[in-house]
Amino acid sequence: MARLSAPSEILRLRLYIAGNGPNSLLAHANISALCHEQFSNRYELEIVDLLESPDRASSDGVIVTPTLLKLSPAPVQRIIGNLNNATQVLLSLGAS
Amino acid sequence: MSYLIHSDVAILTQRLTEAEATVKAILSGEIDAVVDPRSNSPVLLALAQKALRESEARYRSIVETANEGIWMMNFDSTITFVNQRLADMLGYRPSEVVGRSFYDFIPPKGREEAGRRLKRASLGRAEESEGTILQRSGQETWVLIKSNRIHDSAGESTGMLAMITDATRHRAAERALRESEAEHRQIVESTSDGIIKIDRSSIITFVNARLAEMLGYTSAELVGTTLLSIVARSERANLLQSIMERQQDNTTTLETFYRHKLGAEIAVSIAGSSLLDGQGELVGVLGVVRDVTERKKLQAQLIVSDRMASVGTLAAGVAHEINNPLAAVIANLEFIDEGVAMLQVSGVADQDPEWFRERITDPMLDARAAAERVRFIVRDLMIFSRSPTDEPKHAVDVNAVLESSLRMGWNEVRHRAELVKHLGTVPFAVANEARLGQVFLNLIVNAAQSLPVGQVSSHEIRVSTFQAGESVVIEIGDTGSGIAPEVIERIFDAFYTTKSVGVGTGLGLAICQRIVTDMGGTLTVTSTLGVGSVFRVCIPVAVETAATPPEVQSAHFFEAGGRLLIVDDEEAVGRILRRSLDKNYDICIVDSACAALALIEAGDTFDLILCDLMMPSMTGMDLHSTLLRVAPAQAQRMMFMTGGAFTDEARQFLASSGVIHVEKPFHLEFLRATVHEFLVRAECIR
Repeated sequence: MARLSAPSEILRLRLYIAGNGPNSLLAHANISALCHEQFSNRYELEIVDLLESPDRASSDGVIVTPTLLKLSPAPVQRIIGNLNNATQVLLSLGAS
Repeated sequence: MSYLIHSDVAILTQRLTEAEATVKAILSGEIDAVVDPRSNSPVLLALAQKALRESEARYRSIVETANEGIWMMNFDSTITFVNQRLADMLGYRPSEVVGRSFYDFIPPKGREEAGRRLKRASLGRAEESEGTILQRSGQETWVLIKSNRIHDSAGESTGMLAMITDATRHRAAERALRESEAEHRQIVESTSDGIIKIDRSSIITFVNARLAEMLGYTSAELVGTTLLSIVARSERANLLQSIMERQQDNTTTLETFYRHKLGAEIAVSIAGSSLLDGQGELVGVLGVVRDVTERKKLQAQLIVSDRMASVGTLAAGVAHEINNPLAAVIANLEFIDEGVAMLQVSGVADQDPEWFRERITDPMLDARAAAERVRFIVRDLMIFSRSPTDEPKHAVDVNAVLESSLRMGWNEVRHRAELVKHLGTVPFAVANEARLGQVFLNLIVNAAQSLPVGQVSSHEIRVSTFQAGESVVIEIGDTGSGIAPEVIERIFDAFYTTKSVGVGTGLGLAICQRIVTDMGGTLTVTSTLGVGSVFRVCIPVAVETAATPPEVQSAHFFEAGGRLLIVDDEEAVGRILRRSLDKNYDICIVDSACAALALIEAGDTFDLILCDLMMPSMTGMDLHSTLLRVAPAQAQRMMFMTGGAFTDEARQFLASSGVIHVEKPFHLEFLRATVHEFLVRAECIR
């Protein structure tokens, strides 16, 4: 089981998607599974569908979907793509 | 696969920028939508992805199969991409190149410039330049470089892309072309012929420096103008026709006249060849143009000299035939006149003076005057007989030559104008008598022809001579219509004539000027429209005056005696010489050189051998050369008579030193004086 570098802190993620686009669905599925597996209840995942709320994109500087933002713990990180490579995603999220 | 971007540090791949990650994600098909930065609305990419992938594949194949080497680099000079072609050029595998600094592949001396190029590209300037790249082997290759900035999707520049072409061969070819071009240009510009190119509408498209110089223009002035502007007006129609005909023809040579910027016509010979394009269509004509004005002038002079020489040869022959009997006529008339004078002295004439005058004196004067006229006519003819090739210049009595020309031109003058002569006392001038006479005659005839026939009293031809400084000036003026200013500047040009075809050759004044210039003089003209023209010949004064004929020294004239041999095939000449000389000398006459030689070879000796020059079978010259061998002392005693030395050999003989001769017909007094002088001098030498 992966561990967060600061176990007490909650992992806060935000996934930008575009409706039912194949990569959006894939990314959603991938990150949900990963979080469920690795972080059980110590995470918050917010899904932002830009087709429903397009104005949200500019605040985080998102230019493509899917884009995953790790909001905390710091530093903020951004992962672009369908999140198929779990190992890389975990590494990026700072999990060891 | 996923791409991670950190706002400060790229964790997944150090080299990937956010934009690159985005692009790669797009290319690998992991993106559903792109946010349009203007509207903030997401644009779905489902269909675009496929196209993009295909497009990327296409670009990749282009990049990999391109003949050009391609590399991309960051502005920190790290190479991010290289295609196979460039890797080959450098001698590395692509993976050995990516990630290294591009300076590693530039020779040290080119690095500064390469850095500047990268800097310029970062500022967004697309440019083409040349430079060198360094191969693995250490060899340097000269390349053409096209570089440009590359941008990410947000419009940020991320680095530079450069396309690189091996220019070694290109450069060698370019140099060879430049050298060949320079060589051809040098040939074209240094040739002594003019070169001109015209297009199908006769517009000049090229001229070399020589052609421009020939016409007095600059090359720039001529290119773009029509060919007609440099062709003499009179030739334009001909030229147009010949251009039409040449549409089919490929090479021709023609002679025509161009027009100098200042107006003079230039005789040219043009070798023209058609210029065809790749399809064999006529696109223009190339002409090699030679200025033949000088050649034409010389040719024309040659023709005239030739004609003059033939006339001269004929005249000399005729003159010789006339002079021999004329010598007898004139000398006999003079001899009779001497007899008449004796009758008058003795008082016989006083018995019936009226009868004596009517039957003796007057007819005698008329006969002598008429004979003199014949003598002058023949002498005038002889002026043209002197060969123009060996034109010796002597001290010449200009007035006498002018008088002679006036007599010859009199027929032209007398029906048109009064002749007004103001011949001053002038010193001898250095000139060739025959040529000077030709000039005067030409000017007199020109003056006459400027006047209409039949209005003798209202027109004048004024002829005057005077001295001005070191020159003798001869002016020949008319009261004709004058010469227009635009004509006067061309009046001495060869071929220029205002007379109709067949009347004038247009050569007269040109040749006159040449003759006068050759004598060190000048020929000029002044003219006023409606008043008339004056031609002025100036010739330098002779330093020494001509040898004067020997003085008649009557004091001891009859005292000298001697034995004379007269050799002449004209028996009448022999008889009058005996009549006029036998009072003082012991005379022996023979009618051939052979007979004379026989006498001398038989041992006879003479104080003077008066010998005709031109005789059949053995000439006076032959006799002289024979005597030089068999009796040199007698050869020293020879004096020659001639009615006209009409061969070159004879002229050269007479010109040689020590040969004394008298011209037939002669005056008795002059002959007696010359004979006497010869004997006195021979006596002194002895």
